[in-house]
Amino acid sequence: MTYPPWLDDFLWTYQNVIHALGINGLLALSMYVVLAVGQLSLGQAAFMGLGAYSSALMTLKLHLPFFVVLPASCVVPALFALAIGVPTLRLSGVYLAIATIGLGEVLRAIYLNLDVLGGALGLSGIPQRTETWMIYLLLIVAIAVLWRVGHSRIGRAMEAMREDPNAAQVMGVNVQRYRLGALVASAVLAGVAGALGAHASNFIGPNEYGFEPAVTILSYALLGGIGTPFAPVLGAWILTLLPEVLRGFSDFRGVFNGLIIVLAVLFLPNGLLALRMKRRAA
Amino acid sequence: MRFSRVVAIPFVLASLATAARAEVPVGAIEILSGPNAAYGTSIKAGLDLALDTINKKGILDGQKIALTVEDSAGNKDQAINAARKLVGRDKVVAVIGPTLSNEMFAVGPVTNERRIPTVGTSTTANGITAIGDYIFRTSLPESDVIPVTLKKAQARGVKTIALMYANDDAFSKSGFDVMKAAAEKSGLKIVAIESFGSKDTDFSAQLTKIKGLKPDAIGISALVEPVSGVLLQARQLGFGKETQFIGGNGSNSPKLGEIAGAAADGLIVGSPWFIAKPDPISEKFVSDFQAKNGKSPDQFAAQAFDAMFIVAAAIDRAGAADSEKVRDALLKTNYSGVMGPFTFTSGRDPASTEGVVVLEMQGGKFGIAK
Repeated sequence: MTYPPWLDDFLWTYQNVIHALGINGLLALSMYVVLAVGQLSLGQAAFMGLGAYSSALMTLKLHLPFFVVLPASCVVPALFALAIGVPTLRLSGVYLAIATIGLGEVLRAIYLNLDVLGGALGLSGIPQRTETWMIYLLLIVAIAVLWRVGHSRIGRAMEAMREDPNAAQVMGVNVQRYRLGALVASAVLAGVAGALGAHASNFIGPNEYGFEPAVTILSYALLGGIGTPFAPVLGAWILTLLPEVLRGFSDFRGVFNGLIIVLAVLFLPNGLLALRMKRRAA
Repeated sequence: MRFSRVVAIPFVLASLATAARAEVPVGAIEILSGPNAAYGTSIKAGLDLALDTINKKGILDGQKIALTVEDSAGNKDQAINAARKLVGRDKVVAVIGPTLSNEMFAVGPVTNERRIPTVGTSTTANGITAIGDYIFRTSLPESDVIPVTLKKAQARGVKTIALMYANDDAFSKSGFDVMKAAAEKSGLKIVAIESFGSKDTDFSAQLTKIKGLKPDAIGISALVEPVSGVLLQARQLGFGKETQFIGGNGSNSPKLGEIAGAAADGLIVGSPWFIAKPDPISEKFVSDFQAKNGKSPDQFAAQAFDAMFIVAAAIDRAGAADSEKVRDALLKTNYSGVMGPFTFTSGRDPASTEGVVVLEMQGGKFGIAK
């Protein structure tokens, strides 16, 4: 495919931003899935890290082609979500948040101390395999699936759980199973995002998947809202674009960035897209 | 309409004239915000100071260098975005930076792909210049500095050494790898290897274990805050003058004396530069820097100052603002600056370690080790 030179230059210059928009959109969706069942998990960055490290190792050590690596990258996070999901999903609210922060820190310590994972130096020299279309295709598929699910029986069950888990259980919703399902789906989305990210930027390090990114991912969903799958993606796009758009402010960049977020949260507490899914009366 | 066209002519001519005396765009990516901003601002001050002199005289028959400094905030993605903006939009002929080795591992492949020479001034990790043929560095890698420090320690009679390092930070880990390899190569016996976290405050378990083994020296690779903590606790646990403390690049900061005070006395560290270096170029740099910025320069400012001159001279010798020619000219660099004489190896690393001085902490201040 050939583009005119100006467009080619534009795409090259903003390639990383364009990639980041799609990848952060996927991460926002992974946050959305757990928030949609009323759980506050901060393990998304950890799942992303598992996807990134496992896929980078498959590429660097096993030399597998990317069309094998990408689907396989969600296996480790999904298994991990299954293993930790059973005990931790008995927790809720802030207790689950703390448990999942702990999970992220444990994984970070593992990355730092295992030589095969590069320690603090991380893994460098990962070949660029991610193409822009892969990211956006997966993002569109993910939004479409979540939209479909949201309009189905499962979506109603999820919404009921979010509003009142006890009432939902009485109505016959298997709350534990939905919660576990949401956690695994969230891990799959984050893992794929991690693999795409690792193969887009040549280098991954343990500090990219710690506490700070976990909070950033949560803020995508908080800024956008969780009414529909579009809302968190919009939040992710705004938070990803802001630092780049504000480059002109140089030293005051951080101040403006923070100010915009504070104002948005103050005046739009339900997120920028506070719409809810419309359903025909059953 | 006609009138306005006539009026426009002088403006068109004027803009053509300025186009002929165009500026040469050069980019820099440094950490100007966030927790590591101190490094980037120091580097930027060094670059700006050098630019004052360079642009007074001009390069390529009177052209000026237009330096665009982008902030990376110490974040890998922002560093890549900055590099892509500098290369794709600003069409720079060379990039200086980024600040951290980790950022270079992400930025290097991007600039290298577009064949833009990229000169790290503060990247000391192994493997930086192996990223590609367009990646240079003017900072001495730790693998050049630490052997000089160890040689000094051996001259003082050190035969056994214990190593301590922070294992959660790329800079410290890479410094430790180098220290371990250099110690093995120079025939020192490593009696213990202990690690800790950069934010730890208690090192007594590691130090007590080391104390029992009675090594002649303890080598520490970490940033200045944890190094200070280790030294303070070591003194409390009774480590005295008989133990030679050896620091990596992270200990090479005036903050060590400020935090650890007398506990840091006797620690030796290798440095590519020293503020009280008895050398006219260096002395002029220090006084100019103080006059402009109202504070003393550190090694990062000094390295950046030299790098800016090296890049400017390379563009001048290239004869055109063409990144391919600038790269070839950089390889032929033969410059004498604040750090001493400077040339590149064929692997685009600094060739000479002559400039390395071993410093010793005495009364909370660094002086040249005797």
